[in-house]
Amino acid sequence: MQIIYNKFFISGIVCCCLFCLTAFGQAKITKDNIAFIDYSGFPEGQSTWNDIGFSSKYNKVVVGVTNHRDKVALFDYDVSTGKMTNNGLISELAHLRGFQWQAKIHSKIIEGADGYMYFSTDGGESKEEYFMNHPSGYAGGFFMKWHPQAKTFVNLGMGLQYESIKDIDIDPATGTLYGVSYPQAHFLVYDPAKNIMRDLGRLGSSHVPRVLFTDWWGNCYYVDWRQRLVKYQKNGDSLLFARNSLPAFEGTPGEKIVTGITAYAKDKKNNVIYMVTYGAKIVALYPQKNGIGKLVDLGGVADSSNKIESWQPYVPNLNIGNNGKLYYIVGGHGNYVIENKTVLMEFDPATKKHSIIYEYRVDELGEATGSDTKDKEGNLYFAGRRVLDNEDHSKPFLIKFNPGKKVQK
Amino acid sequence: MKLLLLKFFAFAALVFIAAPSFSQYTYFKPLEGFGIELSLSNTNLKRMPMNRNSIASLTVIGDHIIGGTAAKENLAPYIFVASLSKRELLEIKDLSEVLPGQRSIQSGFFRAADNTLFAGTISNSLNNGANPSGHLLQINIGTSGSINVSDLGMPEPGEGIFALTGNSKTNLLYGITYPSGIFFSYNISSKTFKSFKDIAPTLADLKVLDQEFHQLPEEYLSSALVVDNKGMVYGSRSINKIFYFDPADESFHTVTDLPEVWGRRTLGRVEAWATSMDGRIYGGNAGDGQLFEVDSATSKIKNLGKPIMMNRLRGLCFGADEKLYGIAGASPGYAHLFSYDAENEGYTDLGNPQFILTAPGIEQGIQWRGFQLRTITASEDGKYIVMGEDEALSQLLIFPVGK
Repeated sequence: MQIIYNKFFISGIVCCCLFCLTAFGQAKITKDNIAFIDYSGFPEGQSTWNDIGFSSKYNKVVVGVTNHRDKVALFDYDVSTGKMTNNGLISELAHLRGFQWQAKIHSKIIEGADGYMYFSTDGGESKEEYFMNHPSGYAGGFFMKWHPQAKTFVNLGMGLQYESIKDIDIDPATGTLYGVSYPQAHFLVYDPAKNIMRDLGRLGSSHVPRVLFTDWWGNCYYVDWRQRLVKYQKNGDSLLFARNSLPAFEGTPGEKIVTGITAYAKDKKNNVIYMVTYGAKIVALYPQKNGIGKLVDLGGVADSSNKIESWQPYVPNLNIGNNGKLYYIVGGHGNYVIENKTVLMEFDPATKKHSIIYEYRVDELGEATGSDTKDKEGNLYFAGRRVLDNEDHSKPFLIKFNPGKKVQK
Repeated sequence: MKLLLLKFFAFAALVFIAAPSFSQYTYFKPLEGFGIELSLSNTNLKRMPMNRNSIASLTVIGDHIIGGTAAKENLAPYIFVASLSKRELLEIKDLSEVLPGQRSIQSGFFRAADNTLFAGTISNSLNNGANPSGHLLQINIGTSGSINVSDLGMPEPGEGIFALTGNSKTNLLYGITYPSGIFFSYNISSKTFKSFKDIAPTLADLKVLDQEFHQLPEEYLSSALVVDNKGMVYGSRSINKIFYFDPADESFHTVTDLPEVWGRRTLGRVEAWATSMDGRIYGGNAGDGQLFEVDSATSKIKNLGKPIMMNRLRGLCFGADEKLYGIAGASPGYAHLFSYDAENEGYTDLGNPQFILTAPGIEQGIQWRGFQLRTITASEDGKYIVMGEDEALSQLLIFPVGK
């Protein structure tokens, strides 16, 4: 009798849980669903800038942490063990000379078919911005790759002289790298196997769009100064310009238009790539092997408010959960949904419903970057940093978040 | 006491505002400066497509800004007309519709007294690597901006036209061919060419230029010519020399060296000229970016130094304020707009210009920063300076100058 009673009781709990999950879509997200993980062994570490990626082969999250001057340490977080490792400074790993100083990795860190993690380097500070091509200025950014298991490092050479490489992506089939230079916004196509670097020319205006991305076929997407998608069409080796600009809120200033998109997340199963624009719109791209593909305006990143212009929230990050919902952290560079608060938001593309999941003071979480970084367990990763003072000093940390379950550090 | 306090706060506010501004990028962006969008791929708007629009020749007649472009290999260039007052592109002409096989119009324009324009082309290479011929063009712009192009033939078989100027008084054009560097004249009335090999690089020159320093013709030929008020035609020849041609007896005179930085004389060539209202001639040396002045009475030159650290000096023109404006520097570095006032200021480095670009679809205006500038010219009254970009998608940048 006791056994029957227990069975009945357990079945009841399970039914209740199932009912709750069905009724509300998912279990309640609590503070147990998110963890902030420190980078150890690099006390100078000041910030991270979109330089995060996941190695599916070796189950590691790889991040570049910079002192925002001349040192970038390459960290990996082992998802299975929870161990964070400092693998050394890229200047040493890449055998750079003093005049080849690099202040940041600003690109995503993307996995190649060979298991290497590919990225590019950036001047990213006043010596580049002002001195430019002067001998005391910036020599130029490099393409690089690092192997998360063998720990081997390969310097793949420079892009354009004097220019940073703000972002890269890879065609996994051919290993071709796509990049965008800074400050001139030149679109680069680099074949590391043949060491052929091609500059396809300037596409942008005065403020360089920071993000490009590829689709499942290895085509690459960027924007022009009208915020029109520009697709590097792999078949045909050509640039294809969208006829129309990406959706934008009325009144979006020109400097927001020219800066293109800030983040993306891919849902291969449903053939959709979600993008966030610098003007705070969420757009769905349904890519095609040939041609630009269908674009759908999913509205703003937050519910409209009379306290902030719709185009104003800054969202330099985007991830997609296993539940199909988008997760992003709004805030940074003085643009917030809630004044001086950074929020983690959920957006359901099906219902277009926004929810604020967490609110943080800027000295807890000031800004987060990173696109489409998810491990096999559905944990989402962002490269976060907390503001330390008004002098733009900050402390970086890794954010691990899972909307469906508790996370471990 | 109250006044003192106010003064203190005003001073403190000024310091607060000024301090960050010194540490930030400053651009040359006069409020009245503007851009005109000329190039955009896949659009219903009248625009030039990608890789066919580097603005290699530029002039202004009345309200019309007229340009000739350079294209990437195997593509054809355009001639365009934009309106200074309407701030928009009016007309474009695909040169391949008139004269197939050409790649660039980079000689610069010569404007005759009746506003007829002349320019030369460089052709695309043939599949066998041979050079087909460039042609001399006559271009007439209608009052509404319509473009009429006539082919006047070629100065030399297998040669393009690298530089062009002329003399309205004598109805003669003068040019330099590419890649051989042959000087030629063209009589507009009789429609006849005449070639001279006097200033073409010699075998001894080529041994240095090609075999020792691995320089290409576009790196050692004079890409600009000018006629002084006595009718003499000035240009540069290898190695690092200034010459003039006397049309009276068709004689060539190598008069002096170009200013050089030690060790780099092989790079010396003229790529820009400008003549002031009082007839003084200023030139730009591509090799190391020096500005110089030619005394046509004595044929001596004065080295006026360098506006910026880099080499190249791609364009020069005078504004209504009597200042000389120029473009210094080029890829792989960054072009700087500069001004030169011989009497007072000397050089002023204006850096990368950044003006507002407004067009249908971007009515709110976007900031357009000029990184690679190729050409510069002034409106007829000198009140506007017009600059053409050298990009895969090139635009015009324009600013007013006061007297």
